[in-house]
Amino acid sequence: MAEMTRRERILTASRKKMADSVPFFHNWRHCQQGAAERDCRNRGMGLSWARPSYTFTWHGVDVTETWKEYTTGPAELRRTFKTPVGTISQVEKREAGVGQWHANRSWGDVTPWQTERAIKGPEDYKVLRYMYENLEIKPDYFPLEQAKDWLGEDGFIWDWVPHQGVQLLMIDWVGSEGGRFFVHHARYPDLVDELFEVISKAYEPLWEIAAGSPSDFFLLADNIDAVLVNPRLFEKYFMPEWEKCCAKMHAAGKLVGVHCDGRMAPLKDLVPKTSIDVIEALHVPPMGDLTIGEALELWPDKVIWTGFPGSTYALGPEETKRQALEMLRGMGTGERVCFEMSTENQVSNENLLALTSVLEHATLPLTAEKIDEIERSLE
Amino acid sequence: MTREEHLKALRDTITTMNLDGVKAVAQAAMDDGLDPREAITEGMVPGMVEVGQKFEEGEYFLSELVVAGEVMKDGMEVMEPYLTAGAEEEKKARAIMATVEGDYHDIGKNIVVTLLGVQGFDVADMGMDVSADRIVEKVKEYHPDVVGLSALLSTTMSHMGDVIEALKNAGLRDSVKVIVGGTPVTPAYADSIGADHCAANAIEGVHKCAEWVKN
Repeated sequence: MAEMTRRERILTASRKKMADSVPFFHNWRHCQQGAAERDCRNRGMGLSWARPSYTFTWHGVDVTETWKEYTTGPAELRRTFKTPVGTISQVEKREAGVGQWHANRSWGDVTPWQTERAIKGPEDYKVLRYMYENLEIKPDYFPLEQAKDWLGEDGFIWDWVPHQGVQLLMIDWVGSEGGRFFVHHARYPDLVDELFEVISKAYEPLWEIAAGSPSDFFLLADNIDAVLVNPRLFEKYFMPEWEKCCAKMHAAGKLVGVHCDGRMAPLKDLVPKTSIDVIEALHVPPMGDLTIGEALELWPDKVIWTGFPGSTYALGPEETKRQALEMLRGMGTGERVCFEMSTENQVSNENLLALTSVLEHATLPLTAEKIDEIERSLE
Repeated sequence: MTREEHLKALRDTITTMNLDGVKAVAQAAMDDGLDPREAITEGMVPGMVEVGQKFEEGEYFLSELVVAGEVMKDGMEVMEPYLTAGAEEEKKARAIMATVEGDYHDIGKNIVVTLLGVQGFDVADMGMDVSADRIVEKVKEYHPDVVGLSALLSTTMSHMGDVIEALKNAGLRDSVKVIVGGTPVTPAYADSIGADHCAANAIEGVHKCAEWVKN
């Protein structure tokens, strides 16, 4: 078999066909350009670029931002949404570095975090409802076309949608600190459900637009962790939305993945009932609760893109190699699996090289002998 | 209603997560002269214990734990004015819980706070983004048996080590047990920073704390 390009390798495995070797790639957002990155890419590491195929326009909403800079500690951004039915505002803290490089994170890899939520009480729901009722989503394929052109065969592009439906409330608007979303869901179930329906309807044009985009892959960037998204919520609020998305994407020949980097075991019986193709960023123990082998067995029609545990990177390159070998040993012949180098930015050069030193030799089909040989080559 | 009926009604408000009805049930109990301490310890707390057990068994999830805690909070609001001062308080084990500096995630920590309460601990919940200095000050003031540190991010978990170092520097390390936990935190990492235990999950962590104070 002729050697596949990085793009072919990733997409072949993601379509449940046998690639020439285990695909491994870094998301551009987390990948730091430099000596190790160049070396790893020369040794087989692909790249993935995430860009949207659409723009959002909030009609009738006046959005203003005010800053408070601190001489020590994070800066504070207050964002206010003024609408004809009321005004809501949120406060976000940002450490130095946010917005100054390609990741929306600080130099220390910390994402901005909200200290004041837009939805504070039941009276705020009508404002958000107005916003989503007046949201216009329009196609804009240029960012994806541009990235596809730049990237060539070195990797692949993906189209994505940020959190949707209930997850928007859990993570962005109501928040989950102190169990806030659950309290709102229990105290104001009608308001939550009405808003969910409005958001769901507002997103409908998005599936149509994404289906026509130049990307082969669409990511639902929900952040699935069964600690937050229990089976009851998953079944009621997530599965129906995913089905709407999958129907459109599959009709257009696209693959659909969902970001599932949390604990997935409580959802193991529901995942097969979805039409999702790729479980993206599955984290094995110690960070997650399913091994790759368990996930492959539980979900025979899904492809696993495994994220590499940050807690392993924290223990250095030797542990990184050991964990990578263990993961290879637990994935059978290696079909239906891709490795994502990280879901965080701070992968040291040593760790990136260590992981690549294992994966670059992982030709398919994997065998115990082949993995033993990789291990010996590392000594 | 009899005393037993009031206690059962209070317990049921927790186990059925009856946010709409708890205040009326608590008020009825107080109006009938039920001792508020009994109402709490023999009515609502057993309800929380039942919810906690179901959480441990995987029947309930975080959402149920949070909402049951919210029902208890509403009930306590009604009963607190009836609690008379001066009654001798039983000495309880104490714990401080905090999400370390730079980390704004508190779900795991909050589960532990709730379950420690169910286990009879007095818990000082310091919240999120808590610096090592603040934790040291709190240890001086609160004299806890246990300090629990939580982090969700691999980039913030190093602050757990900062807390342990700060406790050592303040001469307080030997006076407390330090338990760490959170998605990226492993036993190997906990060892490397000198923690006493790495919680595999909230439930296991709470059992470890209970075991420490029993011994």
